[in-house]
Amino acid sequence: MPAKNHKQWLATPPLQSDEWVDSRIYSDPQIFEDELQNIFRRTWVPVCHESEMPKPYDFRTSTIAREPVIVCRGPDNEVRAFLNVCPHRGMLIERRPSGSFLEGQPSGNPKRITCMFHAWQFDLKGNCVYISREKEGYQDRLCKENVGLRRLRCEVKFGGFVWVNLDDNPISLEEWAGKPFSCLRKSLEAEPLEVFHYHKAVVQTNYKLWHDTNSEFYHDFMHYHNRVTGFNDAYFARKNESFEHGHVVVGTFEVNYEQYEGFESRAALSFPHLPPNQWYMIDLFPGMNFNLRGSALRCDVVTPLGPDKVMIEFRGIGLKSDTEEDRQTRINHHNSIWGPFGRNLHEDLLGVTGQGTTMLPGTEPRRILHGRHENQTIHDENGMRHYYSEWGKWMNRLPSNPDQPFVKPLAAAE
Amino acid sequence: MATNGVDIANLVRDTIYRATLLLDDQKWEQWLELCDDSFHYAIKSYSPEISRDMTYLQGSRKELATMVKLLPKHNTDHSPLTRHTSVYTVDVAEDAKSARAISSFVVYQNMLDGVNSHIDAGESRLFLVGRYIDVFKCDDSKALFVKREVRLENRRLDKGSHWPI
Ligand code: FES
Ligand SMILES: [Fe+2]
Repeated sequence: MPAKNHKQWLATPPLQSDEWVDSRIYSDPQIFEDELQNIFRRTWVPVCHESEMPKPYDFRTSTIAREPVIVCRGPDNEVRAFLNVCPHRGMLIERRPSGSFLEGQPSGNPKRITCMFHAWQFDLKGNCVYISREKEGYQDRLCKENVGLRRLRCEVKFGGFVWVNLDDNPISLEEWAGKPFSCLRKSLEAEPLEVFHYHKAVVQTNYKLWHDTNSEFYHDFMHYHNRVTGFNDAYFARKNESFEHGHVVVGTFEVNYEQYEGFESRAALSFPHLPPNQWYMIDLFPGMNFNLRGSALRCDVVTPLGPDKVMIEFRGIGLKSDTEEDRQTRINHHNSIWGPFGRNLHEDLLGVTGQGTTMLPGTEPRRILHGRHENQTIHDENGMRHYYSEWGKWMNRLPSNPDQPFVKPLAAAE
Repeated sequence: MATNGVDIANLVRDTIYRATLLLDDQKWEQWLELCDDSFHYAIKSYSPEISRDMTYLQGSRKELATMVKLLPKHNTDHSPLTRHTSVYTVDVAEDAKSARAISSFVVYQNMLDGVNSHIDAGESRLFLVGRYIDVFKCDDSKALFVKREVRLENRRLDKGSHWPI
């Protein structure tokens, strides 16, 4: 078929309607606002790893759906999450990415969460324990008991990740993600894990396009590394398995790292209970990814910043018990592919940046195809179809025509 | 200064600045010729987020040679980088056979692709900030890199960071 005129270009392709989405779902400002409300304010987000806050009084800060969040480890060793917002006049309570409340701050005492603005202090359970000139200003009208921090649902789970949910009554985390994690649970929970890598990218693209790239492997054609270490019969037999709630797991196979010059087998440092050089990928709705290549676990978390802007945080994780030498090897394994100077990550960022460029808010709505069927194996696009079916439910919008309410696609098409 | 009057510190500075130009010009093999066989390269950064020192990339001279040889097989951002290096200190060992230097650098990305090349191409953006911590093996005629540690301040690293810095 030759190049097309405008009408031909916009014509319905000879595919089922759940085999494409309308590009407005990646660019429309109102759809983006609805996503923050309907999805991100109601879902479990792994904001950090527990090894980032190993000691009592350690804290980390984060953001979910524009809301500042703080997680901290209490003197009882419990990890708790709060809105990082002062109940007095709305100051951001903690401004640093991480630290410890063991030390006093200019406005406050050790072992307290202090708001620097007017020196209100809170304990690590979120109770307000000090209001400066309390009686003088509030007499008996308002007291500490009236003004605790906003506590948030928080659990440490699936290999030590700290999960937070802005919704007070969410589905349990076990019910939410237990099944997709079952393929790696033994490996991730055999012994404590520890983070060794962190960096972030802010990309002018929609967060779902990043998640799509993590769940479709057809794009391995752009990764020279994956072509030479992967493309064999076992690779093409890898299954994409769909789970309830929009999650997808990409099944494993044995990667031949030696096929890329300068790379080595990772067998000696496999995670516990994992056969050598296996590669599992868990994609959780709406944009979290857990990717275990034998010796190193990668975790991506998206923080959507706008319809056309996303921050992606990348973590690398190994075993807490690693010797220094083993840790360094794990770091090499992780970063030679997935680090900011690694072979693959950069190519993935190029891909989604280019998509973002063609799908800016206000550009012509176009169809983005997800129509490959290959027996639910690696280059089948069933993972994305499954994701968008879930997205449609949460948003009550039809991904292929987001002005229309959601209707469930025919089961056969998945 | 070596006993025979050769200014080793100057040789060291000269090697660092030559390396900067060769890296800017993506003449990777010629850059590696400034490195001893025992050369080790690492890009490191401290993350206050996870409270850990990180190694973004590291390798021996041989591993780097393999890496740069394979670069053309990989997709990459086309925007060239310009490094601005200032050598701050050079400490020459007493026997004048080795030296250690600390340089400050910034790297600009000269947009070719950008997000949309129609708009972004031709603009230069600050890309990286950091220090080179270099160790040299020296004789009267040359100073060769034995070790380079690139210490970055950056933990936000978008596309365009595929190459040795
Ligand atoms: S805003 Fe926090 S103490 Fe006033
Ligand atoms: Fe990829």
